[in-house]
Amino acid sequence: MQGLARWLMAAAAALMAATSGATAQVKELRIGYQPSPIQDASIAMFEAWGAKNGVKIVKVPNSYGVYVEKMTASLTSNSDQYDVIWHNDDWGQTWAHLLEPTDDVEANKYGSKWSMAPLVFANAQGQNTVVPMGQTFSVFFYRSDLVKPEEVPKTLEELVTMSKKLQADGKAKFGYVGGMSMNHSWFSWFWSMWGNNCDVLMPFYERDNKKLAEGGWKSSMTDPCMQKTVEYWWDAINTHKIAPRGMPAYDRNEANAIFMAGDAAFTVADTLWWGQFNDPNKSKIAGKVAAARFPLGPDRKKPFGWDDIWGWAIPKSIPEERKKLAKQMLNAMMLDEEGQTKMFKATGAPPPNTTFWPKIAEQDAFMKLLKEAVLDSPDKVRGAYYFPQWPAVHKAFNDTVTRAVTGRREDIARVLAEGAPLVSKAAQ
Amino acid sequence: MFGEQQRFVLLLIAPAALLLLLFQVVPIVIGANASFRDWALYNPKKTWIGFDHYVAVISDPAFLYVVLPNTFLFMVLSVAGALVAGLALALLLNRPFRGQKLVQTILLVPLMVAPVVAAIMIRWIFNDQFGIVNVVLEAIGLEGQPWLVQRWSAFGIILLTDIWLWTPWFTLLLLAGLQSLPKEPFEAAAIDGTTTWRVFRFLTLPMLRPVIVVCVVIRAIDAFRTFDIVWTLTGGGPGRSTELFSLYAYVLAFLNLDLGRGSAAAIVGGLIILVLGVVMYRLVDRIAKA
Repeated sequence: MQGLARWLMAAAAALMAATSGATAQVKELRIGYQPSPIQDASIAMFEAWGAKNGVKIVKVPNSYGVYVEKMTASLTSNSDQYDVIWHNDDWGQTWAHLLEPTDDVEANKYGSKWSMAPLVFANAQGQNTVVPMGQTFSVFFYRSDLVKPEEVPKTLEELVTMSKKLQADGKAKFGYVGGMSMNHSWFSWFWSMWGNNCDVLMPFYERDNKKLAEGGWKSSMTDPCMQKTVEYWWDAINTHKIAPRGMPAYDRNEANAIFMAGDAAFTVADTLWWGQFNDPNKSKIAGKVAAARFPLGPDRKKPFGWDDIWGWAIPKSIPEERKKLAKQMLNAMMLDEEGQTKMFKATGAPPPNTTFWPKIAEQDAFMKLLKEAVLDSPDKVRGAYYFPQWPAVHKAFNDTVTRAVTGRREDIARVLAEGAPLVSKAAQ
Repeated sequence: MFGEQQRFVLLLIAPAALLLLLFQVVPIVIGANASFRDWALYNPKKTWIGFDHYVAVISDPAFLYVVLPNTFLFMVLSVAGALVAGLALALLLNRPFRGQKLVQTILLVPLMVAPVVAAIMIRWIFNDQFGIVNVVLEAIGLEGQPWLVQRWSAFGIILLTDIWLWTPWFTLLLLAGLQSLPKEPFEAAAIDGTTTWRVFRFLTLPMLRPVIVVCVVIRAIDAFRTFDIVWTLTGGGPGRSTELFSLYAYVLAFLNLDLGRGSAAAIVGGLIILVLGVVMYRLVDRIAKA
């Protein structure tokens, strides 16, 4: 009898151990992300929350180059590989139907209304599917040791003049450097295009898919503004030589490397690289960088800001208890003032909770500038389009402008005209 | 139904057959199925659309006039380049000299480098600002070049990378072939006082021909589907000018997220390789019998 009791006790203990194991299994959240300063900083907040709440945070890094396709395949196969994934405005509509609505994440109310607009992240039922990670947009960076604030170029023409002056004085090897290749169009093509009343599709700056469809997804390749944009960069590279000849093939890392090596006076990059630009271990120009509004082209007089977010999302296919836990974690992250302030200091990306912005701006001149120039600006553009074919449109756009800028100047109009139907077709 | 010996043979081949079925046949069948359907990766409706994707692929001017010519050009030049370099190295290594084993080991290093790593390395070597190539050119008074911005220089760098990666493979196989050749004809040629070039031209090359042909066939088929180094070095650019077949299929399936059309492109490429393979195997057969 005693033997049987001992066996029963052992069995009960084993059952308890198994049950607590199952509970422990639930108390784990797997994060699918791409290593980058802002994501690392955001995950640090998850980890801090996890440590307090007994939840193990498992980080699963993915390469940027294959992130969308890999994650899309994971989402459509209904796998429960990830509990929280990096989300981005670019693929907001591509994944909207595959993601858990996040309207019940209470602290989402503190996120930027512009950046979380339904046309970007809402599903067909109008439910939001994102929790912001931080604001991710670019600004015009310049070398504060070479250029005084009042000398910063306000127009594309002044960018050429100032660059040539700095080059002639032997102060900089190049005036401007920025990524140009596919998937880095933002850092040269897009900002200069938006700054000259131009865009990928027509009507310009329109992001409502219904209106774009009504316009036949018309490409702006044959509009004079696009020709001016390509000619500007062709001249900057070949005639004025203010930008490296290799720039049409640069990704953002190569462009940032040139800027951080002190070889260029100006660049456009996401604000989240602010921390790296000012890290003396990585950058020769640490402490000598400032930011300003984008220079404008001849067809635009009003300054503009480009404002988007990166965010986190929860796959629809994961079990309910993990969705609940993930939402608790994301809610806590949104309220973590200390963590978000740290994130801003480490990266330069404005944090997701807008109520923290004024306080940070009071103490930090860079945040003050971002607030004035972008976050509080009434004239904003969105950095992408919000339909599933956008990656194909972007590729067709970049292929065309790259062909045009690497060919002969007199062929630019012809190459753009050849690319116009390809851009429109990719959108349909 | 089966004798004991047959059952034993079937048992032995079962694991390999199962792996082949799971990881080769099943994916091909799934891909072929997707190629006839409206199968967007983000919203797989899977409705039957017949040959629409195939028509779109084979009538795409980019596929016909850029991708296919690039792919065949790459295949011919890459195989020829690696063959010539590999043969030259094999001939050098076939002679005894001090440190031969060390040199042989060093020459095999590229085989151990992952193609993506090699491509990243080469991309920085040819970077117009920091790359060692331009540093050397400028040191000798020549102008540095933006190598990846022009079609043919970018294509040349892709070729160079591929040749660098594959030359050791040719060297290894051709060296094994050289070392298995009978010595008598070479001794007879030496007694006759034949020149080195004539020995190579009329003895070494004809006797090595079966090995060369097998190497060329295997490598040519493999070169047709090269993806990693091109994707890492140029992404098919500038402006699609270095795009090869595998990139074309990849972009359709995984960048445009159109798995149906990407699968159709992959099947079209598979059929081209199949035809090419059959022609090449016949060639091997004819040469072996000659």
